[in-house]
Amino acid sequence: MALTEVTVEITGSIWKIEVSEGVQVEEDDTLIIMESMKMEIPLLSPVSGTVKELKVKEGDSVSEGEVAVIIEG
Amino acid sequence: MKFEEQIAEHERRKKEAMRMGGEKKLSKLREQGILNARERMDYLFNDGTFVESGLFATSFRPEKKDQTPADGKVTGFGKINGRDVCAIVNDFTVMGSSSSRTNSKKMAHMKSVAKKRGIPVVFLGESTGARMPDVMGADSMGGSSNPTQYQRMRENPWVSAVLGNCFGSSAWYASMSDFNVMKKGSIMAVSSPRLTSLATREQVDPEVLGGWKMHSETTGFADMVVETDEEAIDAIKTFLSYLPSNHNEAPPIAPVPKGSDEAIKNILELIPESNKSVYDVRKVIKAIVDKDSYFELKPKFGKTVVTSLARLNGKTVGVVANNPLMKGGALDADACDKVVSFLVLCDSYNIPLVFMVDQPGFLIGIEAEKKRMPGKVMNWMNALSLCTVPKISVILRKSYGQAFLNMGGGGNADETVAWWTADVSFMDPGSAVSIVYGVNEKDDPERFQELLTEMKKDTSAYDMAAVYGTQSVIDPRETRDYLIDMLDIHQMRLTNGIGQHLMRAWPTSY
Repeated sequence: MALTEVTVEITGSIWKIEVSEGVQVEEDDTLIIMESMKMEIPLLSPVSGTVKELKVKEGDSVSEGEVAVIIEG
Repeated sequence: MKFEEQIAEHERRKKEAMRMGGEKKLSKLREQGILNARERMDYLFNDGTFVESGLFATSFRPEKKDQTPADGKVTGFGKINGRDVCAIVNDFTVMGSSSSRTNSKKMAHMKSVAKKRGIPVVFLGESTGARMPDVMGADSMGGSSNPTQYQRMRENPWVSAVLGNCFGSSAWYASMSDFNVMKKGSIMAVSSPRLTSLATREQVDPEVLGGWKMHSETTGFADMVVETDEEAIDAIKTFLSYLPSNHNEAPPIAPVPKGSDEAIKNILELIPESNKSVYDVRKVIKAIVDKDSYFELKPKFGKTVVTSLARLNGKTVGVVANNPLMKGGALDADACDKVVSFLVLCDSYNIPLVFMVDQPGFLIGIEAEKKRMPGKVMNWMNALSLCTVPKISVILRKSYGQAFLNMGGGGNADETVAWWTADVSFMDPGSAVSIVYGVNEKDDPERFQELLTEMKKDTSAYDMAAVYGTQSVIDPRETRDYLIDMLDIHQMRLTNGIGQHLMRAWPTSY
């Protein structure tokens, strides 16, 4: 099983986390909703698999390129 | 010699030339589900239309003549959807389809005929690079030269597929093509991983060196990624269906599929009412254009903007659309490169442009500046001003800052229209207060509100329409009809649908 690190694509804050560790996700499912540039921007899963680890929590400030979620699948 | 004998000899030679790299190599390809060069050629052209050029060509070296049927590159003419096309198909089973003196002449002839007679060239690439030892030594380097081998003036479309290991010439042609499709598992790079490892003394993973992920996400050299040879060749045929055979023709007109005006009726369901929420603009484009005509290029590269060929009322258009789903639609360096290469493509082949605007501005920051943003932004503006094909700009929601101009605002398109959801300004008024007065909402809410009122000017579609900054304000559901009407009005009648192609010699890869 390969691990995929899902990185944040834009600097901003974590507004809402839509998944929890252990749940199944499909490609393009929303994992996290970020707030940046006064918009709510979803972070989509690049692969189908299981959420292995959440590296962020709601309210965190994150920069582009930071790993937010690890998906196994 | 009697005719009968000559006929027999001719047949023997033909058979010999058709055997490619031999049964052992060919059966291995069959086992892997990979088409060989001649099967690829057959799949590319309409049945019975292929006319081969250079079947009896071989290596110029006497001791290699028997081992080099067609000299490793199968070339010729044929028809795709009834239109003439020229093709160069690499035969990897013959000396890795390495480039040699003879097959380079074949390629040069194909390119020259295609250019002179105005027909597209298809490259089905899979090659090891230059043939060794033929190219070794100063006499080889000094003796072979063709100063226009890599010249491109976009008189005719070049279309490419990367179907295996592509080093040297097949990588060069792929990067120079107007469309390049890559089969998963293929590698496109300057040199092979083995040579690269020898030179750099470190193990190189071929996929990392030049695999489909790298070229679809990082370099943007892959306009599309597919799983099989057949899918790659199908993509080439589809791409060519949008293009004219050469720059002096208008693109072909296709029948309008039934039900093409159905999806637009429900377009409001695709756009959130809250302007804080984002949506996928690809769904919006699909609802506007002719059914099943959406053909996106570079979907994983510079994702904040979408570039797609499509048809409106049967006519080819190029759509440039911000995608709020990705980084809120903020335009980054890759997005700029992607748009410029698309503007060059459309303008070179007389394809009108439609801009669909919903963007918060160019992405700023240290990383963005390191990627040479001012140059990228201005390269785009210059390209836009050099486009002579019709340009229609539709403002969907927000359009801020310089990027407002890059997306066709301020007279940079032939027509601008705004949805009633449009929101146009130089920047977000709250940010403007912080920048001009140094006052933050958190620190001094009262003063901030006061200044915000001063800064906040009307930003609606109607305010823009009042100064005729947009020619009209429409209901999103009217977009398809509006665009069809405007593209009809703006046909290039005075030049029979042909633009000036001022960017025909612009760099082919950004």
